[in-house]
Parts: sequence; structure tokens; C-alpha cells
Amino acid sequence: MDDFLSEAWAARDVIVGGLVQTLSISAVSILLGTLLGLMVGVCLVYGAWPLRLTARAYSDIMRGTPVLVLVLAAFYMPSVVGLRLAPFSAGVLALTLFCGAHIGELVRGALQTIPRGQTEAAKAIGLTFLGVLTYVLLPQALRGLLPPWINTCVEMVKASTLLSVIGVGELLLRTQEIIGRNFLTLQFYLLAGGLYLVINFAIEQAGKALERRVAFR
Amino acid sequence: MPSAEIPAAGRPLLQIEGLRKRFGTNEILKGVDLEVRQGEVVSIIGSSGSGKTTLLRCVNLLEDFEGGAVKLDGESIGYRDHNGRRIRLKDRDLARQRAMTGMVFQSFNLFPHLSAAGNVMLGLRKVRGMAKTEARAVAERWLGRVGLAERADYAPSQLSGGQQQRVAIARALAMEPKLVLLDEITSALDPELVGEVLATVKALAGEGVTLLLVTHEMRFARDVSNTVVFMDKGLVAETGPPGAIFGSPRHPRLVEFLRGTRDH
Repeated sequence: MDDFLSEAWAARDVIVGGLVQTLSISAVSILLGTLLGLMVGVCLVYGAWPLRLTARAYSDIMRGTPVLVLVLAAFYMPSVVGLRLAPFSAGVLALTLFCGAHIGELVRGALQTIPRGQTEAAKAIGLTFLGVLTYVLLPQALRGLLPPWINTCVEMVKASTLLSVIGVGELLLRTQEIIGRNFLTLQFYLLAGGLYLVINFAIEQAGKALERRVAFR
Repeated sequence: MPSAEIPAAGRPLLQIEGLRKRFGTNEILKGVDLEVRQGEVVSIIGSSGSGKTTLLRCVNLLEDFEGGAVKLDGESIGYRDHNGRRIRLKDRDLARQRAMTGMVFQSFNLFPHLSAAGNVMLGLRKVRGMAKTEARAVAERWLGRVGLAERADYAPSQLSGGQQQRVAIARALAMEPKLVLLDEITSALDPELVGEVLATVKALAGEGVTLLLVTHEMRFARDVSNTVVFMDKGLVAETGPPGAIFGSPRHPRLVEFLRGTRDH
């Protein structure tokens, strides 16, 4: 035990560095993925057919491909055309595309549950399509969207571990490096697992608090 | 003799000419002509499937239509002519034209994420560009006029059907539209709540608001209208002052229709 504590203390900067990396990867890809997902979802429901078809193809391909494959593809494929993405950028790109497809489907589902009369009433007071979407449809869709969105956030944090295979120094890769030095395999994997648990528990709790705030009266 | 029998003398506000609308192969409107004058109250009656509601929805551009023209205050609604071709207007223009009319729906369609006042304020703020405090004041004034001043901060789900429909009326009227369309606004209400909504509409009619309404309440149509329009199978079959329509109907389908409604 003393061994572990002194090793952990010695490696604290590395662990914190990995943790920060994990959090930034997750935050950026959730943020960008959510924005992308909103657009994809709106296209899926209200887009003219070329747009709808594009969004559908994108969503199906992304959701049908393992995330690990997406990560590897985002890292190695651009180099074929002479483009070089840093591991971090490539990883975030892959996770964003994955996240956008999932959230797109969530947005589509949430929008489709809103009765037609809402759109008509909003149009009737003179709102443009963008106004109808911004002030009437999305605020209502958000309520239904929140619980599965929180789920997706948790999934994204877990998926961020896959970036270790392309050399992004996130929490898992850093943990593996530490174990490579001190061979305290069980202890440090448990520590990493505990940290992931804390992050995801925090996300769940924040989500629940948010759900209470936006619930219909 | 009800004062409503006096013909309204205002200028023509809404002119519908030869309006045609089909859903697939089913022709719903087969060339409807109708005129509503400023300050007039026009009720459309007729059996279900006669095209009454579709007509209102075309006026508010919730449906597109294949033929004919709708003019509101002299402006062609929904379409423009481009070298002899009809072209549907862009979203922004459609929105602007929709704001010229107000519409109240059978199923209220209040926005559930906003309070009663919030429902009335949305259009004022985002379409009319009013500041929040000003919009709030207007909303409170209109909610007061439909008798719901104390309910301003209630959510729609906390209101009865009749109250919700009155909020919907306030939401439409607060925008000060040139023409208000009422689409069977009491059909989804419990019988004991119908009266409060109809009383609200009657008060508006008395204040010179121009109304075009579809209704199944014959007594109401008789009391409130200057003109009653009987629609049958996608056409206007008979038009006249309520006294004539209900007192001495000429069209055989209207005679039959009125006999049917009296049985209830």
C-alpha cells in the first residue's frame, strides 16, 4: 500500500495531465458533436431531400462503424491525401463525428414527438422557420433530449480511452505508462477506473440537476 | 333584431377568388370565392369534409394551394407571379404575411414550455421586436381582456381547456392582426366551457375586430355574424346575412344541413 501511495504521489502530475486531457477530449467532442447533432437532427426531420439523404447516410455510416475504427481512420486516412492531423485533433474529429450521429438521432426522435400543432401555432404568429425551431421546437425537444444526451456524454468519456491507441496522452494511456514503470498493474488500473467513475457520476448528477430545472411545471 | 344584421360597410379586407386545393387526387376546394370586409364577422358553416377548415388554413398559408388567389388588404398571399408562373413566396415573406392574420386552433396549441403570458409575448418579442417589459404589458392587457389577468404566470397545463383557448385568443389578438381566423375553437371543449370562449369572441366582434370563423355552433353563428357562408363539397353554396341563411335557406343542401343540426 505504501508502495502504491508513494508511486501515485510521484506520478501525480502525469495522472492529472491525463485527466485533463480526457476531460478536454470529452468536452470538445461533446460540444462539437452536440452542435453537429442538432444540425443533423433538424436536417433529418425538416431538410429537403438531398439534405435529408446526406444526413441519413452520414448518421448510418457513423453509427454502424466501431468507434475504434473511426479513431484509426481519422488518424491514418488524412495522411493518404497528404494531410497530417495531430493525434489529438484526429481523435477529437472521430469522436465528434460519432457523437454528432448519435445526437442527431436523439434530436430527430425528440423533434418528431412534438405535435404538428406546435409548428402551426408558431408559424401562425409570424415566426420564420428558424424562429419556430429556436423558440418553440428546440426548447420542447430539449426536455425529452436531456436524459439520453447525458447518457451520450458518459459514453463519450468512455470512448475517449480509445484515443490511447493513436498516442493521445489521455488518462488510460498515462496510466499504462505509469504501470510500465512500476508494475503496480491492479492498483493503477483501479485508480484510473475510479477516476472515470467519478467523472461520469458527476456528469449524471449534473444532468439530473439540469433535468429538474427544465422540467415542465 | 340583432345588431349584427346590419351589413358591415368597411372596405374589402380579404378577397378569395377561385381558390383550389387538392390533397393527392382528392379535390378539397373547387374554386371558392369569398369576401370579408373590414370589421365584418363572417361565419363558415357546413358539414365536415366540406372544406371549411382547409379554406382557413389556406388563408393563413398553413396549406399551399394550386389555383386561385387570396388577397389580404390588397396584397397577394402566398404566391407571386413571375412571367405568368405562380411562385411560392420565401419563408420570410410567408412569415410576414402570416403575421397579418391571427389564428386560433381547435386544439389550442399553446406552447407548453411557456407561461400564459409567455405564449402571448413570444410573437410580440420575436416577430414585432418589442422589448420584454413592453411585451409583458401588452400580454397582461390582453390576458385581462379575456378574463385571465390572474393566470398570466400559469403554465398551460395548469389551465382548463376554456382558459387555454382564451389564452390562445389573446396570443392571436395581441399581435393586432388585420384578420382573425377562428377554426372550430370550441369543438375540443367540454360543453360547460364553450360559453366562456364564445362570450370572449362575441366581445371581440363587438369591438370591430374582423373575424373569419368556422363553427359548428349554429346559435353562435347566428348571433355573432354579419354574414354566414354555407360550404358544401368544396364550394360556397350559399352566402347571406344570418337571418336569411337560418330563416329562409334556399340551397337544398343547406336546408338538409340545418335540419340535421336542429336534431341535436
